Amino acid sequence: MSIKIRMRGKSKGGVAEIKALIKHPMETGIRMNKKTGKPYPAKYIDMVEVSVNGTKAVDAQWSGAVSANPYMAVKVAANKGDEVSVSLKDNQGDKGTASIKVK
Amino acid sequence: MKRRSFLKGTLATGAAAVAVNAGLLTPNTVLAAWNEKAFAAKTVDDAITGTYGSAGTTDSGDIKLKAPAIAENGAVTPVTIDASAIDGVESISILASKNPQPMVCEYSFAGAAKGYVSTRIKMGETMNVIAVVKAGGKLLKAQQEVKVTIGGCGG
Repeated sequence: MSIKIRMRGKSKGGVAEIKALIKHPMETGIRMNKKTGKPYPAKYIDMVEVSVNGTKAVDAQWSGAVSANPYMAVKVAANKGDEVSVSLKDNQGDKGTASIKVK
Repeated sequence: MKRRSFLKGTLATGAAAVAVNAGLLTPNTVLAAWNEKAFAAKTVDDAITGTYGSAGTTDSGDIKLKAPAIAENGAVTPVTIDASAIDGVESISILASKNPQPMVCEYSFAGAAKGYVSTRIKMGETMNVIAVVKAGGKLLKAQQEVKVTIGGCGG
Protein backbone atom coordinates (compact mmCIF):
# COMPACT_ATOMS: atom_id res chain seq x y z
CA MET A 1 0.00 0.00 0.00
CA SER A 2 1.45 3.29 -0.90
CA ILE A 3 1.65 6.07 1.64
CA LYS A 4 -0.18 9.28 0.79
CA ILE A 5 1.77 12.53 0.88
CA ARG A 6 0.49 16.07 0.35
CA MET A 7 3.12 18.65 -0.46
CA ARG A 8 3.45 22.38 -0.81
CA GLY A 9 6.46 24.55 -1.54
CA LYS A 10 6.96 28.24 -2.07
CA SER A 11 10.21 29.96 -2.91
CA LYS A 12 11.17 33.32 -1.43
CA GLY A 13 14.54 34.84 -2.19
CA GLY A 14 15.94 31.57 -3.51
CA VAL A 15 14.96 29.55 -0.43
CA ALA A 16 11.89 27.38 -0.54
CA GLU A 17 10.08 26.02 2.48
CA ILE A 18 8.83 22.57 1.59
CA LYS A 19 5.93 21.32 3.68
CA ALA A 20 4.68 17.78 3.59
CA LEU A 21 1.72 16.19 5.29
CA ILE A 22 1.80 12.42 5.37
CA LYS A 23 -1.04 10.03 6.13
CA HIS A 24 0.36 7.32 8.38
CA PRO A 25 -0.58 5.75 11.77
CA MET A 26 3.00 5.97 13.18
CA GLU A 27 2.42 3.10 15.61
CA THR A 28 5.29 2.85 18.13
CA GLY A 29 4.92 -0.79 19.07
CA ILE A 30 4.47 0.23 22.72
CA ARG A 31 0.78 1.21 22.74
CA MET A 32 -1.38 -1.53 24.24
CA ASN A 33 -4.50 -3.02 22.73
CA LYS A 34 -6.64 -3.19 25.86
CA LYS A 35 -8.87 -5.97 24.51
CA THR A 36 -6.08 -8.43 23.81
CA GLY A 37 -3.46 -7.13 26.28
CA LYS A 38 -0.89 -7.16 23.50
CA PRO A 39 0.78 -4.12 21.96
CA TYR A 40 -0.21 -2.98 18.49
CA PRO A 41 2.61 -4.00 16.13
CA ALA A 42 5.10 -1.24 15.32
CA LYS A 43 4.45 0.54 12.04
CA TYR A 44 6.20 3.84 11.52
CA ILE A 45 8.02 5.73 8.79
CA ASP A 46 11.75 5.26 9.29
CA MET A 47 13.40 6.80 6.23
CA VAL A 48 12.55 10.06 4.49
CA GLU A 49 14.35 11.73 1.61
CA VAL A 50 13.89 15.15 0.04
CA SER A 51 15.39 15.82 -3.37
CA VAL A 52 15.67 19.01 -5.40
CA ASN A 53 15.74 18.48 -9.17
CA GLY A 54 16.72 14.88 -8.58
CA THR A 55 19.61 15.62 -6.21
CA LYS A 56 19.28 14.49 -2.62
CA ALA A 57 19.15 17.39 -0.16
CA VAL A 58 17.71 15.99 3.07
CA ASP A 59 18.04 12.46 4.37
CA ALA A 60 16.02 11.85 7.52
CA GLN A 61 15.59 8.94 9.89
CA TRP A 62 12.50 8.80 12.05
CA SER A 63 11.36 6.77 15.00
CA GLY A 64 7.85 5.98 16.18
CA ALA A 65 7.99 9.13 18.33
CA VAL A 66 7.09 11.31 15.36
CA SER A 67 3.38 12.11 15.62
CA ALA A 68 0.73 10.19 13.71
CA ASN A 69 -0.05 11.70 10.30
CA PRO A 70 3.35 13.43 10.34
CA TYR A 71 3.94 16.99 9.31
CA MET A 72 7.40 17.89 8.10
CA ALA A 73 8.85 21.15 6.87
CA VAL A 74 12.37 21.72 5.60
CA LYS A 75 14.04 24.56 3.75
CA VAL A 76 16.04 24.08 0.58
CA ALA A 77 17.66 26.35 -1.97
CA ALA A 78 15.17 26.27 -4.85
CA ASN A 79 13.56 28.73 -7.19
CA LYS A 80 10.15 28.84 -8.80
CA GLY A 81 9.67 25.91 -11.14
CA ASP A 82 12.24 23.63 -9.50
CA GLU A 83 11.03 20.14 -8.84
CA VAL A 84 11.12 18.95 -5.25
CA SER A 85 10.25 15.41 -4.33
CA VAL A 86 9.74 13.55 -1.08
CA SER A 87 10.12 9.80 -0.87
CA LEU A 88 9.76 7.67 2.23
CA LYS A 89 9.30 4.16 3.52
CA ASP A 90 8.09 2.61 6.75
CA ASN A 91 9.50 -0.25 8.82
CA GLN A 92 7.10 -2.70 7.18
CA GLY A 93 8.28 -1.80 3.69
CA ASP A 94 5.41 0.41 2.57
CA LYS A 95 6.58 3.30 0.41
CA GLY A 96 5.38 6.66 -0.76
CA THR A 97 6.60 9.39 -3.08
CA ALA A 98 5.32 12.78 -4.13
CA SER A 99 6.76 15.65 -6.07
CA ILE A 100 5.78 19.22 -6.80
CA LYS A 101 7.00 22.22 -8.71
CA VAL A 102 8.00 25.02 -6.36
CA LYS A 103 5.72 28.05 -6.61
CA MET B 1 45.22 -19.85 -0.85
CA LYS B 2 41.53 -19.62 -1.50
CA ARG B 3 40.79 -20.32 2.10
CA ARG B 4 43.17 -17.59 3.18
CA SER B 5 41.59 -14.91 0.99
CA PHE B 6 38.15 -16.03 2.13
CA LEU B 7 39.16 -15.56 5.76
CA LYS B 8 40.62 -12.15 5.01
CA GLY B 9 37.40 -11.09 3.35
CA THR B 10 35.17 -12.16 6.23
CA LEU B 11 37.47 -10.51 8.75
CA ALA B 12 37.33 -7.22 6.87
CA THR B 13 33.53 -7.17 6.68
CA GLY B 14 33.42 -8.16 10.35
CA ALA B 15 35.54 -5.18 11.27
CA ALA B 16 33.30 -2.85 9.27
CA ALA B 17 30.23 -4.18 11.06
CA VAL B 18 31.91 -3.60 14.43
CA ALA B 19 32.76 -0.04 13.40
CA VAL B 20 29.13 0.60 12.50
CA ASN B 21 27.94 -0.83 15.81
CA ALA B 22 30.38 1.30 17.74
CA GLY B 23 28.99 4.39 16.01
CA LEU B 24 32.34 5.22 14.43
CA LEU B 25 30.76 5.67 11.05
CA THR B 26 28.03 8.25 10.72
CA PRO B 27 24.72 7.18 9.15
CA ASN B 28 25.76 9.11 6.05
CA THR B 29 28.60 6.78 5.24
CA VAL B 30 26.47 3.71 5.79
CA LEU B 31 24.15 3.92 2.83
CA ALA B 32 20.49 4.15 3.78
CA ALA B 33 20.73 2.10 6.95
CA TRP B 34 18.38 2.91 9.77
CA ASN B 35 20.48 3.76 12.84
CA GLU B 36 19.06 1.18 15.21
CA LYS B 37 21.62 1.85 17.93
CA ALA B 38 20.65 5.51 18.26
CA PHE B 39 16.91 4.89 18.17
CA ALA B 40 16.97 1.95 20.62
CA ALA B 41 19.05 3.89 23.16
CA LYS B 42 17.31 4.46 26.49
CA THR B 43 19.16 7.61 27.57
CA VAL B 44 19.81 10.94 25.86
CA ASP B 45 23.60 10.54 26.03
CA ASP B 46 23.48 7.06 24.50
CA ALA B 47 21.20 8.29 21.74
CA ILE B 48 23.51 11.19 20.87
CA THR B 49 26.54 8.90 20.98
CA GLY B 50 24.73 6.43 18.74
CA THR B 51 24.07 9.13 16.18
CA TYR B 52 27.22 11.22 16.26
CA GLY B 53 29.80 8.99 17.95
CA SER B 54 30.15 11.32 20.94
CA ALA B 55 27.86 12.81 23.56
CA GLY B 56 29.95 15.94 24.12
CA THR B 57 27.69 18.84 23.15
CA THR B 58 28.01 22.59 23.63
CA ASP B 59 25.03 24.82 24.38
CA SER B 60 24.48 27.28 21.57
CA GLY B 61 22.35 30.40 21.38
CA ASP B 62 22.37 30.28 17.59
CA ILE B 63 19.94 27.39 17.48
CA LYS B 64 16.37 28.60 17.51
CA LEU B 65 14.26 25.92 19.13
CA LYS B 66 10.57 26.65 18.99
CA ALA B 67 8.28 24.47 21.07
CA PRO B 68 5.22 25.29 23.18
CA ALA B 69 5.73 25.97 26.91
CA ILE B 70 2.62 23.92 27.57
CA ALA B 71 1.44 21.20 25.20
CA GLU B 72 -2.22 20.37 25.66
CA ASN B 73 -1.83 17.14 23.74
CA GLY B 74 1.60 15.51 24.02
CA ALA B 75 0.90 13.29 21.01
CA VAL B 76 1.25 16.25 18.67
CA THR B 77 3.85 18.66 20.02
CA PRO B 78 4.97 21.04 17.29
CA VAL B 79 8.73 21.55 17.28
CA THR B 80 10.69 23.83 14.97
CA ILE B 81 14.46 24.02 14.87
CA ASP B 82 16.06 26.84 12.93
CA ALA B 83 19.84 26.59 12.75
CA SER B 84 20.19 28.65 9.58
CA ALA B 85 22.26 31.20 11.56
CA ILE B 86 24.99 28.55 11.74
CA ASP B 87 27.20 27.85 8.72
CA GLY B 88 27.62 24.35 7.37
CA VAL B 89 24.88 22.49 9.24
CA GLU B 90 25.35 18.79 8.53
CA SER B 91 22.67 17.30 10.71
CA ILE B 92 19.87 18.11 13.14
CA SER B 93 18.44 15.68 15.68
CA ILE B 94 15.39 16.06 17.88
CA LEU B 95 15.29 14.24 21.22
CA ALA B 96 12.65 14.03 23.94
CA SER B 97 14.53 13.50 27.20
CA LYS B 98 12.08 11.26 29.09
CA ASN B 99 10.56 9.25 26.26
CA PRO B 100 11.28 5.50 26.49
CA GLN B 101 13.56 5.96 23.49
CA PRO B 102 14.66 9.61 23.51
CA MET B 103 15.81 9.85 19.87
CA VAL B 104 12.85 11.11 17.85
CA CYS B 105 14.31 11.91 14.46
CA GLU B 106 17.53 12.79 12.71
CA TYR B 107 17.91 14.88 9.55
CA SER B 108 21.09 14.89 7.47
CA PHE B 109 21.62 17.75 5.06
CA ALA B 110 23.45 17.99 1.78
CA GLY B 111 23.63 20.36 -1.16
CA ALA B 112 20.55 22.50 -1.42
CA ALA B 113 19.27 21.98 2.13
CA LYS B 114 19.22 24.69 4.81
CA GLY B 115 19.49 23.96 8.51
CA TYR B 116 15.80 24.09 9.26
CA VAL B 117 13.34 21.44 10.39
CA SER B 118 9.76 21.65 11.59
CA THR B 119 7.76 18.64 12.67
CA ARG B 120 5.39 17.27 15.30
CA ILE B 121 6.50 14.78 17.93
CA LYS B 122 5.00 12.59 20.65
CA MET B 123 5.82 13.28 24.29
CA GLY B 124 4.68 11.06 27.15
CA GLU B 125 5.06 13.54 30.01
CA THR B 126 6.56 16.89 30.94
CA MET B 127 10.17 16.88 29.74
CA ASN B 128 12.86 18.67 27.80
CA VAL B 129 12.92 18.83 24.04
CA ILE B 130 16.55 18.75 22.94
CA ALA B 131 17.88 19.83 19.58
CA VAL B 132 21.35 18.68 18.60
CA VAL B 133 22.94 20.36 15.60
CA LYS B 134 26.11 19.12 13.96
CA ALA B 135 27.96 21.86 12.12
CA GLY B 136 31.59 21.99 11.08
CA GLY B 137 32.40 18.88 13.09
CA LYS B 138 31.00 20.36 16.32
CA LEU B 139 27.95 19.25 18.24
CA LEU B 140 25.73 22.11 19.41
CA LYS B 141 22.70 21.80 21.64
CA ALA B 142 19.61 23.73 22.66
CA GLN B 143 16.81 22.58 24.90
CA GLN B 144 13.46 23.70 26.22
CA GLU B 145 11.04 22.27 28.74
CA VAL B 146 7.57 21.42 27.52
CA LYS B 147 4.82 20.82 30.05
CA VAL B 148 2.55 18.06 28.85
CA THR B 149 -0.97 17.88 30.23
CA ILE B 150 -2.06 14.74 28.35
CA GLY B 151 0.57 12.14 27.51
CA GLY B 152 1.21 11.12 23.94
CA CYS B 153 2.10 7.48 24.50
CA GLY B 154 -1.21 6.46 26.13
CA GLY B 155 -2.18 2.81 26.33
